[in-house]
Amino acid sequence: MKDYSRNFLFYPPLALASGTWGLGENLFKYYSPAEVKETFGVLVTKGISLKPRIGNLPPRIWETPCGLINSIGLANPGVKEFKKIFLTGLLKTEVKIFVNLYGEEIEDFVALAEEFKGTGVSGLELNISCPNVKKGGIAFASQPEVVKELVKEVRKVWEGSLWVKLSPVGPVLDVAKACESSGADAIVCANTYPGLVVIEGEKVLKGGVSGPAIKPLTLRLVYELSREVSIPIVGCGGIASAKDVLDYFVCGAKAVEIGTAFLIDPELAKKIAKELKEKWDM
Amino acid sequence: MQKVKIILNKKEAPGIFLMGLDVGKEYTKKCSPGQFVRLKAWDSFDPLVPRPFTIHAVKDERLYILYQVRGKGTRFLCRMEPGEEVEISPPMGNAFPQLKDYVLCAGGVGSAGFGFLLQEAERGSYPLPKKFYYAARTGELLARAQFFQNFSVPLALITEDGSLGKKGLITDVLKEELKEERPGAILACGPLPMLKAVAKLGEELGIKVHVVLETFLACGEGFCMGCVIPLKNGKYAYLCKTGPTFPAEEIDFERL
Repeated sequence: MKDYSRNFLFYPPLALASGTWGLGENLFKYYSPAEVKETFGVLVTKGISLKPRIGNLPPRIWETPCGLINSIGLANPGVKEFKKIFLTGLLKTEVKIFVNLYGEEIEDFVALAEEFKGTGVSGLELNISCPNVKKGGIAFASQPEVVKELVKEVRKVWEGSLWVKLSPVGPVLDVAKACESSGADAIVCANTYPGLVVIEGEKVLKGGVSGPAIKPLTLRLVYELSREVSIPIVGCGGIASAKDVLDYFVCGAKAVEIGTAFLIDPELAKKIAKELKEKWDM
Repeated sequence: MQKVKIILNKKEAPGIFLMGLDVGKEYTKKCSPGQFVRLKAWDSFDPLVPRPFTIHAVKDERLYILYQVRGKGTRFLCRMEPGEEVEISPPMGNAFPQLKDYVLCAGGVGSAGFGFLLQEAERGSYPLPKKFYYAARTGELLARAQFFQNFSVPLALITEDGSLGKKGLITDVLKEELKEERPGAILACGPLPMLKAVAKLGEELGIKVHVVLETFLACGEGFCMGCVIPLKNGKYAYLCKTGPTFPAEEIDFERL
């Protein structure tokens, strides 16, 4: 088997995806500090905005065949509260912390990036792909020129790693190239797919679809993008086994994020990391 | 998630099953009445997430759930045989509140969690409820009525069709009986319309009502923030973090 180990963006090459582990409160119920380090190279926080966000009304989440659909609405305590209450604990993990940022305007992202200067945070993941908010989010992902401007402006104030989490829909390639040309260090491919379910024959839930159902779709995107852009790609979509991780590496990813699988069984990532280590004999 | 052996999977009523699991004494020691466990009985991704079930009873190293077949997950579960294995999460959610001078109200399979509560109450680790009102559409749907009869707490059976116990809705019986002697509190679990009706009645009679709610649960650990319960103060609570039992007066039933 081809040795991908020299090309990892970080090690272990597994990250915990934004919005799938809350703000870290219960992570240590399932992982010892040593296990967190052995399993994840990066922890990406829940999307953080300038002001607190209460999130969307129920229903927020439902199951689809081999997947989940969610519309959480970026519920978060806001950047001040996050820094005061949650960040210190997360930084103690000794794993690189990336903060997922959500803004409605470019200025919001810049202001957020400035909030994390000198805090010990390793990187930022710009969320331009949330399908569940009225402003910002996925609206950015349809405008490559705006994304270019956004990354350029954040880059001016942020010296650490800068990732952009793409939407899997819209002009994905153009957006990826816009990220590359404006100073992003990596792109995360990709967020959830806009979808809809009718719950119990009456309630409509519009949200983002995740889980094993979307893996072939996102894998294809990673494959295509890796041939067009030279910055590293972090694969994210439906990973639930070591084989899934390897598939993403075969298709050009330099690291991966695990999300929905963590909701099914928080300990699954531990098993995946162990299996990968054994495979690579490292 | 840990693998445990099924020791029993028996039909108790139409569409309602009792499953016994050998989880070990260390596990049962950690369980409290009102908590739930997530179970996964399939290797595939469809269904995807483990399903949550209230702990119905505990005996030595055994844990029991009482469940109604409602969707993909429970259809899988009901076909499992003793000797086969399922995956189980640690016990999740919060215990029932310790109430004084209270009665229990259950609608249908909402009775499940009260088995464990009664067991613990008889052991002395929970206050004994004054009475247990147990309602269902028909007599045959009053699953485990005999089990509930074994406790010292008086059991009132109620059916909509009058085929067993008193005829009517649970709130009809409560209205009649609670006027005579008002308890300090009601702990209720069952379908949402029943919970709303009990909450309303409690408000009218000045009795504090606690309701056990349910939502679709993806993680049960506060990771996904999906199991949101709207509160009257405009904020949200998460069922897995602060529930599943809530003071009814705090719940915004209209937005639920």
